[in-house]
Amino acid sequence: MDDLLADFIAETREMLEASSGELVAWEADPADRARLDAIFRFVHTVKGNCGFFDFPRLAALSHAAEDALSDCRAGRRDADGPLVTAVLAIIDRIAAMVDAIEAGEDFPEGGDEALIAGLDAANDSAAPETSRPDSSAPLHAPADTLLAATDDAAAPTRRADAAAAQRTIRLPVELLDRVMSGVSDMVLARNDLAHRLRQAGNQPTIDGPFERLTTILSDVRDAITRMRMQRIETLFGALPRLIRDLSAELGKQVMVDLDGGDVELDREMIETIRDPLTHILRNAIDHGIEAPAARLANGKREIGLIAIAARQSGNTISIVIADDGRGLDEERIAAKAIATGLVSAAERAQMSRDRVLNLIFEPGFSTAETVSNVSGRGVGLDVVRQNLERVGGSIKVTSVPGEGTTFSLQIPLTLSIIAGLTVETGGQRFAIPQSYVEEIVQASSSALDLSWLGESALVTFRGVRVPCLMLGEVLGLPGSETEARDPTLVMLRLASGDLFALAVEGIHNHGDLVVKPLAPAVMRSGLYAGSTLLDDGTPVLLLDVANIAAQAGLVSDTRARVLAAASDDSAAAEATPRAMLFTDFTGRRAAVRLELVQRIETAPVSAIDRTHATARVVIDGMILPLTGLPDGPLSGRRVRLLRLGDGTCDLLYAVREVEDAVELTAPLQPVPEDPLVEAVTLIDGAPVTLLDAHALFARYGEAPIAAKRTRCILPEGEWARTILAPLVASAGYEVLPESEGDTATIGPDAIRPDVIRIVFEDVYEVAEALGRELPGTVIRLRDQPDAPAGCATVYRYDREGLLAALAAASRGARAVSNASTGEAA
Amino acid sequence: MTGALLVIIQIAGRRCALGALEVKSVIEIGTITPVPRAPHWISGITALRSQTLTVIDCRRALGLSSEDWPTDHRAVAVADGGHAYALLVDSIEDITTAAGEVGQVPGGFGAEWSRIATGMIETLAGPALLLDLGALLAGPETLSREIETLV
Repeated sequence: MDDLLADFIAETREMLEASSGELVAWEADPADRARLDAIFRFVHTVKGNCGFFDFPRLAALSHAAEDALSDCRAGRRDADGPLVTAVLAIIDRIAAMVDAIEAGEDFPEGGDEALIAGLDAANDSAAPETSRPDSSAPLHAPADTLLAATDDAAAPTRRADAAAAQRTIRLPVELLDRVMSGVSDMVLARNDLAHRLRQAGNQPTIDGPFERLTTILSDVRDAITRMRMQRIETLFGALPRLIRDLSAELGKQVMVDLDGGDVELDREMIETIRDPLTHILRNAIDHGIEAPAARLANGKREIGLIAIAARQSGNTISIVIADDGRGLDEERIAAKAIATGLVSAAERAQMSRDRVLNLIFEPGFSTAETVSNVSGRGVGLDVVRQNLERVGGSIKVTSVPGEGTTFSLQIPLTLSIIAGLTVETGGQRFAIPQSYVEEIVQASSSALDLSWLGESALVTFRGVRVPCLMLGEVLGLPGSETEARDPTLVMLRLASGDLFALAVEGIHNHGDLVVKPLAPAVMRSGLYAGSTLLDDGTPVLLLDVANIAAQAGLVSDTRARVLAAASDDSAAAEATPRAMLFTDFTGRRAAVRLELVQRIETAPVSAIDRTHATARVVIDGMILPLTGLPDGPLSGRRVRLLRLGDGTCDLLYAVREVEDAVELTAPLQPVPEDPLVEAVTLIDGAPVTLLDAHALFARYGEAPIAAKRTRCILPEGEWARTILAPLVASAGYEVLPESEGDTATIGPDAIRPDVIRIVFEDVYEVAEALGRELPGTVIRLRDQPDAPAGCATVYRYDREGLLAALAAASRGARAVSNASTGEAA
Repeated sequence: MTGALLVIIQIAGRRCALGALEVKSVIEIGTITPVPRAPHWISGITALRSQTLTVIDCRRALGLSSEDWPTDHRAVAVADGGHAYALLVDSIEDITTAAGEVGQVPGGFGAEWSRIATGMIETLAGPALLLDLGALLAGPETLSREIETLV
């Protein structure tokens, strides 16, 4: 078959798929002008294309349909039911002929005249029954009965607008792949070059063009990635028709609700999930949705609903197909599984309902008693699962008897480029998708408190206890001293909202990762989502964060349910005040209302300044008042502090030990003799002093010294936004994005020199080389932990170093600012 | 099968053949990044230009020990199911032509070899065991499952 013919077939089929949703919609409402136009365009194109080939029958059919439709468009004729039926029959015939042409078969003679006559018969308003085309035209017979029972509100499809026409050409996928991998190679080469340029030092003549190359390359890569992406709408477009035809054939009434058509997916991935999706829909209509009479008898709506929704979360796409049919029959599935020897009766007794239901994905399993031509044709859900697993996806089913069945498909976005973080453990590097990363913290730094409870580790992060996984342990790598003693914690936030910490030995780098799928045998471990290449070409594994968390039992379904239940109760429990329980330096058990507690800090004793009546301590570059200290000298090197805030003022309360957040359920006994105590109450049967926050703030509260917040411009990019910005903001600086920074330097703010600018070293060097000096105080970040002594840069994950640099810059900036205002005055 | 091009390799001291069409290239094996918790017959992943290859130790995939034979610094790159693999073998001998049809030998090849071999094939370089790539890549763990499904 020559290319031209292949193109013709592909184009016809593509248009047919794109317009099949329109066909169903048009059938429901023949007066709909937009749909009419779409269908007219289709037959018109087919007719035009036929001119290149010798397909007289195809040409005659499309010509006849075009004539009839053009009459409608010109208003010479009404698009009534019989006409719609006749046009649809012709379009079906065209599709069948195209299939035959592609397969190189001869299409059976005859029948065309009847179809064409059907158009005229419809015009003569002859009885539709006689004008209906012969039975070889597929599946239109029950259309009228379907429509008769369907009112407007329950039209067979709710898809709203017609797909806009796009200029497209067809390209072989291999070519795309070659371009794609060429660009990936180019990115790697660029990164390597960047590395060498940095090593060689400043070279103004090279750095400028190199920056340009970088910009161009990222544009090209962006475009290439888009080239492979397609809206899932192209797949969804064909579904209303499929569902309509199947339900008509099986004498059922089904409407479909499509959602998330704008989710983008790799084109190849769309092709891969086409069959699985079709299969699940066939099953849903054949086995799931009951006949209309049965539905009415069960108190359901006569028309069944299949809802299909696509969602993107991180680097996976989830597609959920839910029907409101009779649900899966646990007992029948179990019986069948026992009969085929899939499980033993003893095993069955141990199995939960969900596990039984998921047996339907096992090879050789089919509950269809009769093999209809719709489902049960030997190709089972096991093949569906295989196809999905082949591309690193997964499928799950849940079902409630009598209420419906839900299939959830998880599909990776292959070949996608994601932002990622490279971490090291056990001497090996791994990548983590940036989208999960909430924050990176050194366990030794202030906000954390790593403690072991049996085999589980917990860290206290911003006053919340968070489960902590040791990456080396998860991966079964040889134990590492650093990881256990002084780990770097990557706080990861899952799509479900659960937070957990991953302890690693160190952080290496962040950057764009070209994610490639892994072989199925490796994927089965459930730990990896793919692989990617580092700048030097070494492959590293991308961790499957969600799955690792699930395997560690951090987000089991039960937990999710418990959480859901708790949040339901929270509305009722809202009235109960909560407090943070602690032991203070006099050994007294005391509490302070939880809403005042901003954070739990740890400060070195040396940082406490007790020369004034009120002690002060520097936290995150801000000087805060401190109370609650014992009179004598402090033992130990560090002190735990509760950071209390009332919105305008912050103050720190030194405590010996923080216990837990508790609910104040017992009555509060006022203590009028001590002005700093609000009340005494009972917690777990023991008396606890509740501090009077109002009095505390009245006595010690003061706005933080650094209240005139220094403004700080951050570099562009995901890393700066998600990791750097929270750190800088929590240190008390006002964060300006790079773009606003530009206006700040040229706008009215340009005269303000008290802006701190954080830039990456390479950007700084380029600016320097181009002679464009950056205004304000500049903090330069480097990517590598090691640097020669006296180097003016700060390692990007050196939290303490960065804060120190910020504090120093802030002092400098304020001095400049004061001087300039002084001059102005 | 007569006349088909075959790549002759040594696995665990035995001469084996792979259809030349299945072999994408013969590559120099660079750094192998190990994959923690992967099946033991997967040595790790390696990069070939911008592609990631899963490195399969054929000896282990057969269920044999890999210590008894030295490894070639070269590997056979193959593709299966859209994924690329590098096969670690003892050595890569030759490319030759099949001189007959695939046959069986009385008594079989032994359990491990029978699982991954299509049969014996005569070549110009002598008899060799023609490998079933899919079975080889599936690894020794799948052995029991395959038998169950056959029953």
